[in-house]
Amino acid sequence: MHDKTFRASVRILAAALLAMLVAFAAAPSALAEEGGYPNANVNVHDQGSLQRGARLFMNYCVGCHSLKYMRYSQMAEGLGLTEQQVMENLNFTGAKFGEPIISAMPEADAEKWLGKAPPDLSLEVSARGADWVAAYLKSFYLDPSTASGWNNTVFPNVAMPFPLWQLQGEQVPVMSPAEKGQPATIEELKLAHPGSMTPAQYDRAVRDLTAFLTFVSSPDELVRSRMGAWVVIYLVLFTLFALVLKKEYWKDVH
Amino acid sequence: MGAFTEWFNERAPGLGAVYKKHMTEYYAPKNFNVMYYFGSFALLVLVNQIVTGIFLTMFYTPTAAGAFDSVQYIMRDVNWGWLVRYMHTTGASMFFIVVYLHMFRGLMYGSFKKPRELVWLLGMLIFLVLMAEAFMGYVLPWGNMSFWGAKVIITLFSAVPWFGHTLVTWIMGTFVPGDPTLNRFFALHVVALPLVLLMLVVLHLGALHEVGSNNPDGIEIKQHKGHDGHPLDGIPFHPYYTLKDLAGVGVFLIICAVIIFFAPSVGGFFLEHDNSIPANDLVTPATIKPVWYFSPFYAILRMIPSKGLGVLALAASIVVLFLVPWLDRGRVKSIRYRGLAYKIALAIFAIVFFLLGCIGADLTPGWIVGIFGPNADITTIENLFGRILVILYFAFFAFVWVYTFFGFERTKPVPERVITHA
Amino acid sequence: MADDSINKGRRRFLTASTAAIGGAGLIITAIPFVETWLPSARAEAAGSPITVDIGKIEKGQMVRYGWRKQPIFVINRTPEQLQWLPKQDPRLRDPQSDASQQPEYCKNGHRSIKPEWMVLIGICTHLGCVPDYKKKVGPEPFDPDWKGGFYCPCHHSRYDMAARVYDGVPAPLNMVVPPYHFVDDTHIQIGVDPKGAA
Repeated sequence: MHDKTFRASVRILAAALLAMLVAFAAAPSALAEEGGYPNANVNVHDQGSLQRGARLFMNYCVGCHSLKYMRYSQMAEGLGLTEQQVMENLNFTGAKFGEPIISAMPEADAEKWLGKAPPDLSLEVSARGADWVAAYLKSFYLDPSTASGWNNTVFPNVAMPFPLWQLQGEQVPVMSPAEKGQPATIEELKLAHPGSMTPAQYDRAVRDLTAFLTFVSSPDELVRSRMGAWVVIYLVLFTLFALVLKKEYWKDVH
Repeated sequence: MGAFTEWFNERAPGLGAVYKKHMTEYYAPKNFNVMYYFGSFALLVLVNQIVTGIFLTMFYTPTAAGAFDSVQYIMRDVNWGWLVRYMHTTGASMFFIVVYLHMFRGLMYGSFKKPRELVWLLGMLIFLVLMAEAFMGYVLPWGNMSFWGAKVIITLFSAVPWFGHTLVTWIMGTFVPGDPTLNRFFALHVVALPLVLLMLVVLHLGALHEVGSNNPDGIEIKQHKGHDGHPLDGIPFHPYYTLKDLAGVGVFLIICAVIIFFAPSVGGFFLEHDNSIPANDLVTPATIKPVWYFSPFYAILRMIPSKGLGVLALAASIVVLFLVPWLDRGRVKSIRYRGLAYKIALAIFAIVFFLLGCIGADLTPGWIVGIFGPNADITTIENLFGRILVILYFAFFAFVWVYTFFGFERTKPVPERVITHA
Repeated sequence: MADDSINKGRRRFLTASTAAIGGAGLIITAIPFVETWLPSARAEAAGSPITVDIGKIEKGQMVRYGWRKQPIFVINRTPEQLQWLPKQDPRLRDPQSDASQQPEYCKNGHRSIKPEWMVLIGICTHLGCVPDYKKKVGPEPFDPDWKGGFYCPCHHSRYDMAARVYDGVPAPLNMVVPPYHFVDDTHIQIGVDPKGAA
């Protein structure tokens, strides 16, 4: 009887551990817990999304932000583009094809102009999560009290001006009614002046840009999951053979 | 093959004898269950760490200026570098999963009891060295959590009376973790501790083979030998357990492969998000916490309000494990035949260890808010539950001593021969 | 008591097949580790082709460039040096460059695309020293019949103006010619074959 209890408890424990593992792996990362950012719905296997995101990055971001751990050649491979396509359409930094993506803005000037050097974004999604990045890109609003005239509900008092205002438009804060003795807080953001994109189009653009940055954070992701399927299939096959072999020899044991 | 064996045995007869002694003529109990896989899994993971570690060392730059960049170089520029790195990080976490289960098996079946106390002590030394090895390994990528984790853990040593602060400076080689710290951790992590670990593993297995393995029924199989001089309930390790372990390894590798290829960071548990940011001595991460496998001990440290006592409690929580063979005076080895109170106590201990781990891993704030609402005083509630858990952790060992020393335990009759099921 | 006799054949088959599958897995696992030693993306980028301006190189002059951490010699050969090339054949170890390394489009009498421009990797094929350029046609202490070429100070190997090795010296092969092509009349790109080259 102790055997049955033991075996049952082992099975329950194994199932619980497996469930935990799956939950942790599949769920949005623990980062998004703080404040619970909406799911960015990023799909790095969608090459079109990555390409659109790359173009947005090169048009609006690389002026200040580098991706120093990503080479143009590696970007070409991940996005399914030829050397010529990348060099003609995505290389605004004048680098050679094998060289990394370094912003043209000299760091000394950046600090002078913006108060803080714009950080390299190669690992931004790794550090903060795709959900955070996407939420950040949608949360800029006009704020006359800051140096740049912009502020952000996800990253209060950020030094960065908003580069995508022409696409999204300009948002303003809607304040919640001030309670006695408490400062007024921002309840939500409202689009005061529309941009060239509708909210739905801008959402998609943010998703693409975030997908591209997710790829930049871990380019191996593209290869990994495909390879993983084969590795698991092989291991299952091997384990089956090993199991049959074990059972055959254990016939000796009584 | 036979001719080669003959040639070899003529020239090195001792080696053939060693093979026989430890493989084909090492008689292990025939009733090993699933809990008996973890020792061989641990050995497999050790080999993995060494092989992948050697390859990482070929591409890693052990300086404060170059380390972080070199890890990205490995992940992106070195062919298959990402695979080698993920095998190493996954292996590190799997090492602890396996070792904790392996230790728990020991507690369940009384594998630490006479005549196996030395096996247990050597195992505990391996655990200690493993923790040091893992801690230093985590500092090497020189991410922000590497830096701050190093700072916090090394600073713990300042609690040592008289020369605590000198000790801290001596460990770091400078006043804040930096190049000297990184360089020496690299030497220790890559060369010194692996050698110590290998030596301890050899001794651990040697000590085990001297007295023979325990089993889920806690019976000494050498007490009933057949006409051939071999234990009636024993079977040669090779081929029976080599093959069984091979199949087990297959399942274990499937789990590892799923992690490596589909979710290597396991939601931030195996690879923390803050380590994607380079070390910055001016910016502390929102929550400093060690990697998940140190969480239970970190929780014990945090729950004690005084720094000195906290460090003492942390040390005690590990030292007390060394003392288990002398705290547990029960004659019956296996939980199968022990008193009900012991079974309950051990189950509680396992749950307590897990919950302490959740506190150390900073999972509890979310749960507290979920149960008590958004205005809950997280710190007070967490401290309350955490302190109860710390008391329960140590209470387990006190309970075991009182229970067995004063003879309160009511055991069941232990069978003469092992129980196997068809 | 069950007494199944041991089915040796089945055991042999199962052991062999499991060993084969496991062995294959081990070999396949070893491949990525071996491949980590291949040049990384960083090395490939550093070793990427270079474009050099040859417009100012005078007749008879040699300029050195670095490519893939190797010295590249680019020489603007004089008519006098070129004239002596075919006459060196009987003195050479590999006059047709059959055993030596050069691109298909350089397997000719002057071992280059254009006769006057010689491009080579300046490493002696004996033990790897960098030879000196001895451009003057006239007697030299190491060769009374010297018609211009390269002389390696380490073990005295000699090469003609097409970097072909002379008989009777330790070096076994002509010096290597790298892939290259003319971007235009005054620029050579080293590391890339001409488009449509064989």
